Amino acid sequence: MNNVLPSPFVIAEAGKCIGCKACELACFAVHNDHNGVVAAVGTVTVPVIPRLHVVRTESFTLPVQCRQCENAPCAEACPVQAIRREEGTMVIHEESCIGCKGCAMACPFGAISLNKAFSNGKVVPQIQLKERQHNAMVRSAKVIAYKCDLCRTRDHKDGAMGNVPACVEVCPVGALSLVHPDTSVSRSRTAAAMRL
Amino acid sequence: MSYKDPIIHIDEQLCTGCRRCAAVCPVGAIIGEPGHPQTIDAHRCVVCGQCVQICTAYAADNESTTASRAVKLQERGQLPNVREPLFAAYSSGDIQKVKAVLADPKRFKVVQCAPAIRVSLAEEFGLPFGTLTPGKMAAALRRLKFDRIYDTNFAADVTIMEEGSELIGRVMSGERLPMFTSCCPAWVKYAETAAPELLEHLSSCKSPMQMAGALFKTYGAQLDGIAPSDIFSVAVMPCTCKKFECSREEMSVDGYREVDLVITTRELASLIKDQGIDFIHLPDEPFDSPLGKYSGAGSIFGATGGVMEAAIRTGYELITHEQIPNLQLDFVRGEEGIRTAEVQIGELELKVAVVAGLKYVDAVLAKVAEGTCPYHFIEVMACPEGCVSGGGQPKLLLETQRKMAYQARKSALYRHDSHQKVRKSHENPDIIKLYKDFLGEPLGHTSHHLLHTKFVDRSFKEEMS
Repeated sequence: MNNVLPSPFVIAEAGKCIGCKACELACFAVHNDHNGVVAAVGTVTVPVIPRLHVVRTESFTLPVQCRQCENAPCAEACPVQAIRREEGTMVIHEESCIGCKGCAMACPFGAISLNKAFSNGKVVPQIQLKERQHNAMVRSAKVIAYKCDLCRTRDHKDGAMGNVPACVEVCPVGALSLVHPDTSVSRSRTAAAMRL
Repeated sequence: MSYKDPIIHIDEQLCTGCRRCAAVCPVGAIIGEPGHPQTIDAHRCVVCGQCVQICTAYAADNESTTASRAVKLQERGQLPNVREPLFAAYSSGDIQKVKAVLADPKRFKVVQCAPAIRVSLAEEFGLPFGTLTPGKMAAALRRLKFDRIYDTNFAADVTIMEEGSELIGRVMSGERLPMFTSCCPAWVKYAETAAPELLEHLSSCKSPMQMAGALFKTYGAQLDGIAPSDIFSVAVMPCTCKKFECSREEMSVDGYREVDLVITTRELASLIKDQGIDFIHLPDEPFDSPLGKYSGAGSIFGATGGVMEAAIRTGYELITHEQIPNLQLDFVRGEEGIRTAEVQIGELELKVAVVAGLKYVDAVLAKVAEGTCPYHFIEVMACPEGCVSGGGQPKLLLETQRKMAYQARKSALYRHDSHQKVRKSHENPDIIKLYKDFLGEPLGHTSHHLLHTKFVDRSFKEEMS
């Protein structure tokens, strides 16, 4: 893959966001085929773990998500090379992730969260590691890093209207957009030239 | 008012104040500032549950400010082992009570399901939109230990007999026209609240659910030799407002509640899961006779235009004594909004309108009030595409799938209809038998006692003061 072109990324406009969390829910919905999540809320048997997060402050709400950094500090921080660029998207390979939190600490946007891993609607247990729960030793849950992958593995049978991530598609107020920096920048450049 | 619980709630700990619910509320009942938790004006609220369907403000598991999940499930009347996420807008559940009754061997438990349940229940188990599962639904209810699996569709056929006869009478005499349907409890509550002076325009028919309930504890009790006091009547509905309807004081027969409890499609699914029933692999089983046998006309009540289509199929033949040339009446089928048509029935040119979505009804009511409404018969359903889009139906994770889901559920209803041997209510052999053995004739004495009702003035508070 020729990586001369900068990677696209999703970004939100604070002035538009109404804080409904539809983006978080959609993000979760399209990333959980392996947990049996289909169209209905009733098919959900695992906690909602989104890969973008609506931040609320006194004056605004805004979803925060990965910028798909060109010089990705998360990937630099990962000791096991579980974060790789794939077709312009920074992707965490969950099976390699050791849950060290390095990527989450390195990310200047707080776009990476660590949470339990789930498969087939159940927590994925550690192979050996155990912990005490209610006076019994049980296998600990595997913990992995989650981040936006621009819905690269999304099955477009779910009513997707275009080739945009689910969060962008469901936002009821158009606060989220998929930015292609090359076209965006050249548009700004043209606009600037017209003003000169 | 006989109800205490307003049924529809917004959890202030979870509400983000996005007000998407206010945008879909047809009656402006959701009050609050953007960015702050909303409240519901229970007087205005028609309990349609569209806010419950649209809400995306879910409880994140790590939100420390919220009460524990177990406490919330209890407050909401849900089963403790429900695993799906909780949202700010919700409807009160009755499934714990139903579960307790099902464990009581002394009660004779009778259940009915609305037409729209069998085209959506499968979604709760991960099957595609529009999967039609009447047989699995009946099998699941039997495994939940209901003693009789009866059906609302049967009562939809009864409704056509009564409402069709009423319409013919009113058209012939020219009295109280137009006549509105009265199956949708949210529409009825709205009419009672916003246009009490027009209530005489509503059909006096109870809804199919209430008709079914009344028949279970009379005709059904006789057939089974059971005392009505021993019968516990449960209705599974796509609708949150049916919980309100069943609690209306006048919805009783000889001192017994016609319907003791209403649960939604989602609540039924939660009980099936709770009992460890493998829904997907259940065999197809039949409904119980005679109160569970229905025509194709009964099954299309679940889609906007369905009551109209079923009524025309029967009305045409009752008036002309000839077979209706085409059973599939595409001109009343459709989506959200208002559809109108003129139907030639013998000498009569019947003018009909179908209103899908309560926000569209005000224009029609205004015409009726000024005496310029040209229609004879108007079907009104509060939800955007009829009961398939009801507030108690499976809730979608993605708004982008909503149209597709409604379309598929409606197609499944029409498919179900087209595959029935009997497609007209008046040709359902068990309906013929019901009238012969028990009711006598439509609009007769027994029908009036059991199947018809009166409506109540619930004018807006501010208009009364």
